[in-house]
Amino acid sequence: MNRLTPEQLAAGVQDLPSLPAVVMELLSSIEQEDIDISVLAKKVSYDQALTAKTLRLANSSTYGLQVKVTTIQQAITFLGFQTTRNLITAAAITGCFPSGRCAGFHDKGFWRHSIATAACARALARRMRFNQDIAFTAGLLHDIGRLVLVTGHPDAYTQVVAWHAQHGGDWQDAEQAILGIDHVDAGVALADHWNFSSTMRQAIAYHHAPDVHGAGFLAAIVHVANAIVHALDLAGEDDELVPRVSSVAWDAMVLNEEAYLHLFRETELQFGEMSTILMA
Amino acid sequence: MSGPFHLTPLAEIRPGMVLSDVVRDGKGNVLLAHGVVLTESMLASLARHGIDMLPIVQAEPAPPPLDPVAVQGRLDHIFRKHDRDDLGDWATGILRRYVEDYRLQREVSQ
Repeated sequence: MNRLTPEQLAAGVQDLPSLPAVVMELLSSIEQEDIDISVLAKKVSYDQALTAKTLRLANSSTYGLQVKVTTIQQAITFLGFQTTRNLITAAAITGCFPSGRCAGFHDKGFWRHSIATAACARALARRMRFNQDIAFTAGLLHDIGRLVLVTGHPDAYTQVVAWHAQHGGDWQDAEQAILGIDHVDAGVALADHWNFSSTMRQAIAYHHAPDVHGAGFLAAIVHVANAIVHALDLAGEDDELVPRVSSVAWDAMVLNEEAYLHLFRETELQFGEMSTILMA
Repeated sequence: MSGPFHLTPLAEIRPGMVLSDVVRDGKGNVLLAHGVVLTESMLASLARHGIDMLPIVQAEPAPPPLDPVAVQGRLDHIFRKHDRDDLGDWATGILRRYVEDYRLQREVSQ
């Protein structure tokens, strides 16, 4: 039996690699405007790998800067604090989980899907006049619970992968069948442990169920972005599968076909560039 | 400047194409940065600035010709849980149609 109790899940979360302290600070303050930017910029600069990755992202064509930024402080000046914070977070999170721990789990495919969903959620949010930076981070983190399960319980997750290969369908079904919990539970546990803002927590909790009362608009954005990225086949998985799209979430986007075709193109372009930087 | 580019007349440029270099007006002021994804309104504004050619990023080696049967087959596989006759699942149906139009480069009537 591989059933995970809530206590085991919590213990798995405790054992996760920790993010640099400054990134934890950024994640928990994502909706705060009044934090001391210069102190944060300085703290990030102490981490050279993180700084280098963040600056490469800032200089990517996604942000269309006319000058190359060479310091975190400069990035904040040109891109704004919100966007820079967002890039630092992305650079830190994509590098913090060990890969190759669980047979049959494709770390690369996981990150390709997450980065593409982040790019798509950001592009959708812009059209919805929703905060693009929050949408990007929510897209990047929506399935993070899968990594929690894979990292904390690699052997049990190997069985989830086997069940999924045999039965097909959604990962949630496979996880529930083997573990008794799924990646949404694990994602929420991580959100609590890492002190994510409540908006971010809601988006992780309801990205498969955006119709639930109180799920929030961000969950709807992430839900639609997730489906689009599956449909665009960007993760490079043979068994790629588009989940059922919530009509409530789709309706909330009020975009016409032309807008969606532009969105697809933008998602593909930005995904190409960002995945090269983040998965280097 | 980055990668292969093609100096393209403004009239042939469509929204979504990507600038391969910075664009300046006659006085040397930067109008658009390199790497910008062009939009309808940017193109209109460039026309007003009297610009008639732009350096456009060329798709890396021309993509292999589209094989509609293979593309449709892959899409049907990805959407294998979706039933075209299930009208209750219309949202997935619309996404499917849009992605088919996109991948098969069908003309989209507005």
